[in-house]
Amino acid sequence: MTQLIGGFLDVLNLSTLIWIAVGVTVGYVLGVLPGLGKATGVAVSIPLTFYLGPVAAIAMLIGIAKGSTAGSAVSAILLNTPGEPSSAPTALDGYPLARQGKAQKALKMGLFASVIGDFLSTLILICLAAPLAQYALLIGPVELCAILIFSLTFIGGLSGKSLLKGIIAGALGIFFATVGLETETFIPRMTFDMLELDDGIALVPMAIGMLAVAEMAIQAGNMRALDLETAQIADSSDPDDRRVTRAEWRRSAVPILRGTLIGSAIGILPGLGASVASFLSYGATRKASGDPESFGTGRIEGVAAAESADNAVVPSSLVPLFALGIPGSVIAAILIAAFVLHGLTPGPLMFEQNPRMVAAVYAAMLCASLLMLVIGYFGQRLFAQVIKVPMRLIIPPVLFLCCIGAYMDTGSIFSIWVMLAFTVFGFFAKKLDFSFVTFLIGYVIGPSIELTFRQSLQLLDHKWTNLASHPIAIVFIVLTAATLVLLARAQSAGTTRTDPQPTGAEPQPSTQGRNR
Amino acid sequence: MSILKRRHVLARLASLVMAGGLMAAPALADDHYPDRPITMLVGYNAGGQTDLVARAAAKVMSEELGQPINVVNRAGAGGAVAGRELQKAKPDGYTIMFHANTVVNTAPFLMKRVDFTPDDFEWGGFITAYQAGLVTQKDSPFDDLDGFVAWAKENPGFSYGSLSPAARMTMTEIAKKEGLDVNIVPLNGGGEMLNAILGNQVVLALSGGIHSKYPDQMKMVAALTTFRHPNDPDVKTIDEFGYELAMDGRAGLYLPKGTPADIVKTLSDALSKAQDDATFQQVTGAANIPIMFLDADAAAQEMVSTYQKHGDIFRKAGVEPQ
Repeated sequence: MTQLIGGFLDVLNLSTLIWIAVGVTVGYVLGVLPGLGKATGVAVSIPLTFYLGPVAAIAMLIGIAKGSTAGSAVSAILLNTPGEPSSAPTALDGYPLARQGKAQKALKMGLFASVIGDFLSTLILICLAAPLAQYALLIGPVELCAILIFSLTFIGGLSGKSLLKGIIAGALGIFFATVGLETETFIPRMTFDMLELDDGIALVPMAIGMLAVAEMAIQAGNMRALDLETAQIADSSDPDDRRVTRAEWRRSAVPILRGTLIGSAIGILPGLGASVASFLSYGATRKASGDPESFGTGRIEGVAAAESADNAVVPSSLVPLFALGIPGSVIAAILIAAFVLHGLTPGPLMFEQNPRMVAAVYAAMLCASLLMLVIGYFGQRLFAQVIKVPMRLIIPPVLFLCCIGAYMDTGSIFSIWVMLAFTVFGFFAKKLDFSFVTFLIGYVIGPSIELTFRQSLQLLDHKWTNLASHPIAIVFIVLTAATLVLLARAQSAGTTRTDPQPTGAEPQPSTQGRNR
Repeated sequence: MSILKRRHVLARLASLVMAGGLMAAPALADDHYPDRPITMLVGYNAGGQTDLVARAAAKVMSEELGQPINVVNRAGAGGAVAGRELQKAKPDGYTIMFHANTVVNTAPFLMKRVDFTPDDFEWGGFITAYQAGLVTQKDSPFDDLDGFVAWAKENPGFSYGSLSPAARMTMTEIAKKEGLDVNIVPLNGGGEMLNAILGNQVVLALSGGIHSKYPDQMKMVAALTTFRHPNDPDVKTIDEFGYELAMDGRAGLYLPKGTPADIVKTLSDALSKAQDDATFQQVTGAANIPIMFLDADAAAQEMVSTYQKHGDIFRKAGVEPQ
């Protein structure tokens, strides 16, 4: 604790604070722009930090990572274009809210959830870095495989009205994820001799195509009605639509805490990442609510759940990095280079050799959280003006941004073709009411399940009895089985129960995401 | 900060816009080379080790040549996508590539669609080497490869972490020769390799070089290069243990075929300056990447000999390109 106070003394000076603010601002803007992710931002900024002191440099880089995670919610809410893939679930409810004239409410909730998730997760990092990391290593491929299979059961809760359509979409997601080089022998799968497909279909152009471009196409098809709608809703006069009401806070408190927990846990586990966290948190919140069908039509809890988990991943993915020197995420891997360049070797010895500097980094991270609140709050007022612009003026620049975003991801025109291909896919998925969420969950989790399953087979020496030495895995396998039984029961009982309900999902038909 | 970021964006936009325009541009007089900015392709994403080295090298070279060098990441297929793009570029020294040479001297023997030969490029010199090795936990019961083989004979069914078909081949060859019973666990990248070793999931793994950052948790039992690692001079190479499986990987400049010899030399000389540059040393030193400069001529020879040698090793092991 005294160390932390010392750390704050090192950080609370004008120049360090300014660099943190610069980092958060830059990150926020990068996050808003689709395709420009935190990884690119941090990687490109590392050489610039040569000229800064170590604390300011690391604080600025972490500021970029945090800021862009929060910023990516803005474009997800306003334009249905997630700035980063992990904000895709934010768009599911955030965008309908924006179309209902509640953009400011959604943006504020997104920001608050981001800051809370980030701040609490930073506290978790500070308190638990050393002790927790020891347990992180207990989670090997066998345990991870069991956890991932368990998380697939969320597809059941996420598939909306039709479980069958949800499963089809999830399976399609897994199918598209198999494209690319197989890990072990480099046998190409469904690459059709295109080298660009060797690394698989990139998530960013795919998500941009399916979510944003497809949305723009659908909207363009219904321009006149939308112009009318925009004229009516753009400037909602009800002050309650511009802020988060007390009742909404009450409803969102649990989703935020749950999201923070899920995000922190996933960040600590190696190899999963923010997309998995935000989708799982969204899924869990939807499942836990009494009324899962109403998600996707503008539920504020959906935004809160997705954003809190998304942001909680960033600090907690530094836990294994700080305690063991193992990166828990892409961003942590990039930060290793930055840490080492500035004389801080991540790992257990870091706490003994450089306690003051570790404390300063912690303090800087907490400051970055608070600065994010301030910068985001004022930044949003600027961005929120977008919603007042008629749709016919928004579509061309958004399509332009989409192309740039897809191109920047890999620096290749091929990504734009990927984007267009998935635009067609997304268009029909939306028209036919197939779930994007289960598709993306399948896509994100599928490859990890395959790899960890194959690793597990080898590690268990092909004998299932060897599972006995992996109690954590057994717990999750039992949980999976239990969930499946419950789901099956609910399904057979629910065929009669849900029949009278479908209309309940569409209380205000004219202002919803799927009203076109 | 934002200026550099913007420049990065602009560079990409510019390369997009100019792709057509450059084709039509007339060949510029070589004695003024370089009189405009140079584009440096990197076949990995921004932020990786090779990318950091490339950016540091680009900085030194650009100071030396007096023209900016724009680093453009063209990730895909381990660098093959960038290599294809370089082949299409004009051989005028204004489009160059910084990459690992393994995409030419190793990948073609593993992947059918990567059919590069050393003759497809001009070589502008190598600046760093990769320190691949077989690694294990610091506290494991053996200290070198011979010790490992003896241990493995007593412990059939042990697990080995493999990052690639080449890593797989290394272990299957050892296992074939010594009659070992091994479970090969596929790993996806260096991060997973770290987890597998530090989490005691596998007893041995192939590391591309990242292990040298973890001297307190890991040790190397054999270097997989023809030379002993500067960071670990006491550990013998796999050839010294009698297996003849050593393969060297280096990072440096690829140029389009037909780039004039004087431009190749200019670039090679500029790259050589990185050896003594303080910032470059700081970047490579931080990641424990050894600087081992080979000039353009030596690099070309290295490519011919390693291409032949690695091909022989894979063919002898019965590895077919997929």
